[in-house]
Amino acid sequence: MDRFKILLLPSVSLAFGILLLMLITFFLNSWPIFEREGLAIYTSNIWRASEIPEEEFYGILAAIYGTVYTSLIAILIATPISIGLAVFVVDIAPRKIRELIVISTDIMAGLPTILYGIWGIFVLAPILSNFMVFLHDSFPFIPLFSYRNPTGYSFLTAGILLAIMVTPFATALIREAYAAIPPIYREGAHSLALTRYEATKLLLGYIKPAILAGILLAFGRAVGETVAVSLVIGNSFNIHPSLFAPGYTISSLIANQFGNAFAYSYMPHALFAAGLALFFIGLAVNLAGVLVLRRWRYA
Amino acid sequence: MNAIEIDDLRVKYSNVEVLKGINLEIPERGCFAIMGPSGCGKSTLLKAINRLLELNPDVKISGDIRLFGESVFRMDVTKVRREIGMVFQFPNPFPHMSIYDNVAYAARCNKIVKNKKELDELVEWALKKAALYDEVKDRLRKKASQLSGGQMQRLCIARALALKPKVLLMDEPTANLDPIASGKIEELIHELKRDYTVVIVTHSPAQAARVADFVAFIYMGKVVEVGDVSEVFERPKHELTEKYVTGRIG
Amino acid sequence: MLREIKNGVFLFYLLASSVLILLPLAHILFSVSANGLPVLMSRGMEFLTSTLPGPNKPGGGIFPAIFGTFTMVFLSSLIGIPLAILAGVFIAEYPKSIISNLARPLMLIMLEFPTILVGLFVMVVVVIPMGTFSAIAGAIALAIIMLPYVTTYTEQAMRTVPESYKEGAYALGLKKARVVFAITMRLARKGILTGMLIGMAKVAGETAPLIFTAGIAWRSIGGINEPTGAIPLWIYYLVQQPYANYHEMAWGAAFILMLIFLAVFLPVRLMMVRS
Repeated sequence: MDRFKILLLPSVSLAFGILLLMLITFFLNSWPIFEREGLAIYTSNIWRASEIPEEEFYGILAAIYGTVYTSLIAILIATPISIGLAVFVVDIAPRKIRELIVISTDIMAGLPTILYGIWGIFVLAPILSNFMVFLHDSFPFIPLFSYRNPTGYSFLTAGILLAIMVTPFATALIREAYAAIPPIYREGAHSLALTRYEATKLLLGYIKPAILAGILLAFGRAVGETVAVSLVIGNSFNIHPSLFAPGYTISSLIANQFGNAFAYSYMPHALFAAGLALFFIGLAVNLAGVLVLRRWRYA
Repeated sequence: MNAIEIDDLRVKYSNVEVLKGINLEIPERGCFAIMGPSGCGKSTLLKAINRLLELNPDVKISGDIRLFGESVFRMDVTKVRREIGMVFQFPNPFPHMSIYDNVAYAARCNKIVKNKKELDELVEWALKKAALYDEVKDRLRKKASQLSGGQMQRLCIARALALKPKVLLMDEPTANLDPIASGKIEELIHELKRDYTVVIVTHSPAQAARVADFVAFIYMGKVVEVGDVSEVFERPKHELTEKYVTGRIG
Repeated sequence: MLREIKNGVFLFYLLASSVLILLPLAHILFSVSANGLPVLMSRGMEFLTSTLPGPNKPGGGIFPAIFGTFTMVFLSSLIGIPLAILAGVFIAEYPKSIISNLARPLMLIMLEFPTILVGLFVMVVVVIPMGTFSAIAGAIALAIIMLPYVTTYTEQAMRTVPESYKEGAYALGLKKARVVFAITMRLARKGILTGMLIGMAKVAGETAPLIFTAGIAWRSIGGINEPTGAIPLWIYYLVQQPYANYHEMAWGAAFILMLIFLAVFLPVRLMMVRS
């Protein structure tokens, strides 16, 4: 090993070190709540703060539910749009429009999330609340619409906002993969008298792993988003099937409750346990996405 | 009637003229070889016939190409490509699809058959016609990426035949195959040319002599000589032709 | 006929996808401008130079936020960029080592890691021992977030330097360190600079990691070991207040943030198109 390598080694190791340290920190700081409640911290929907430590009991099931619910909504919306956008940019758009779209999606990917948040809370939520009230009054028997007096601060609003935020990531990945399909397959598909729709379906089958990776990474991005979601989700402990109901996500719970957490004995530890859960969910999904992509690229 | 008539075809790629006024008559059935040194426009000529050049927005085409009397530019492009199948230089079966689906997909989209049973029969027929069936009949559902180069190329032939074309374009089909696989393909061409009009582009005069009935010699984007294969090889009219078939240019 | 119809619907879907994604972007930029610009216009320079007013009191500005943002971006760059560049150099120069093979996916994962967790982490290791929220804590959190961006851009930039240049330098007898710093990095400087700017633009807009590290400061600007405001942080808290003048200021701050972001991001991005 030459000297240069040894010199540079600390800087790379730092990244690993930070991740490891983060894991240890979260574990250590969650330990008291695990000791006290076991896995009930994750499986129950209770948030009982108290001045008397013995009476405190916390369960973040509602937040886990909200995280999964909103992220699912997000990728359900984002996936078809990402694919459609990728195909449009590669196959159809003239050069100028292609550049415009690509730059715009890059801007969206980098735009400070608080800007999405302020737009969400002051613009999107009010608009959506009109729809929600209409849909609820017209079809209150449908479970998805069944929340009474929807305010616009809900799972749906958060899901839509997340969809807008994660689409740029997914579409960039899919677009790159789609553009990189060897021309011989494109020519082959078209030589078989296929319409654009049929040829595209075939070629998209070729990049299916890339699409899956895009969805996974988008999901990973969605679970981790904090401020935009916390401003539009309503911040309440709620496990409700309706799209129009307010709720919590793990990240918005942490952001929202940490302010007053230190007044109580166990609340900070509960929130660290929540952070630990988010850590693993985020790690698992992102890792899965990266692995799918790697395996496909080297196939 | 001629299967294909090419009328003063000129093709420009971003202002570089690749084909400079091609005139050709390709009779029905039999094998018509287009030969010439690399880079003189042979592939471009082939891709013009089934309008595959249109995939590239920088290409300018003028002149006419007629398929059994009808101009291909006035026909629906899907119909053109149904009547005219193509096999490429690099065998390109879709690697993520099964052998069965490779043959069946386009046939299904183009509604060549009416139901699943007929489709199964069509796939079997096409694979047999391409001399591949016996080798793959037990693994039709396996991915096409597992085949050898020669098998892949025959799969591509089967895939093209499944659309029941009248013309089969082959762009240097054996250029990337070993001699044994190449031999099998040439055998196949002898079979196919009895029922189809086969137009083959080749950079090997020897191959043209082996498989073709008619041959055209293209040099620098222009037709130098065209005629019966024995005529062109034994009594070439043009000095360039003689140089090419005897291997002095290539 | 059904075939044609399916194709037509498909083309419509492709077009619709593009519109559906560009529409929100346009709407967001428009809303921020339409709501934020008037605030700036009516309050003028005061908005940039004064501190937070009382609830529903006239006047006031976001100076502490602007100061905080610039301070922490500067500090985080100071801490994070050199380390990230060195890490990128390592991965580029020793691509086959086990560490590099592990580091590359690690960087991709870190790029999208929940930033609030980074903030929590730094809170435990910096804020609690220090006993106070501070700019330095915020800067450390931002540096961690900036790391994967700068590292991956650096690595990519160095990898695209043609081998021939490096081989020529080695042939002249130069040692590896020399070749890397004097030749490869110099040739890759555009890409490295791009990574730095993108990283800085990204962290300037981050909110979550600052919640538990920088704390908040409304009326003063302190040293780096004191609680600090930041533009995104101010916006986050102000929109949750019930007072109309705070909402106005939030829009104004959002407008400023948007301008800062676009001012850095657009030129960098357009420069990337050229190459």
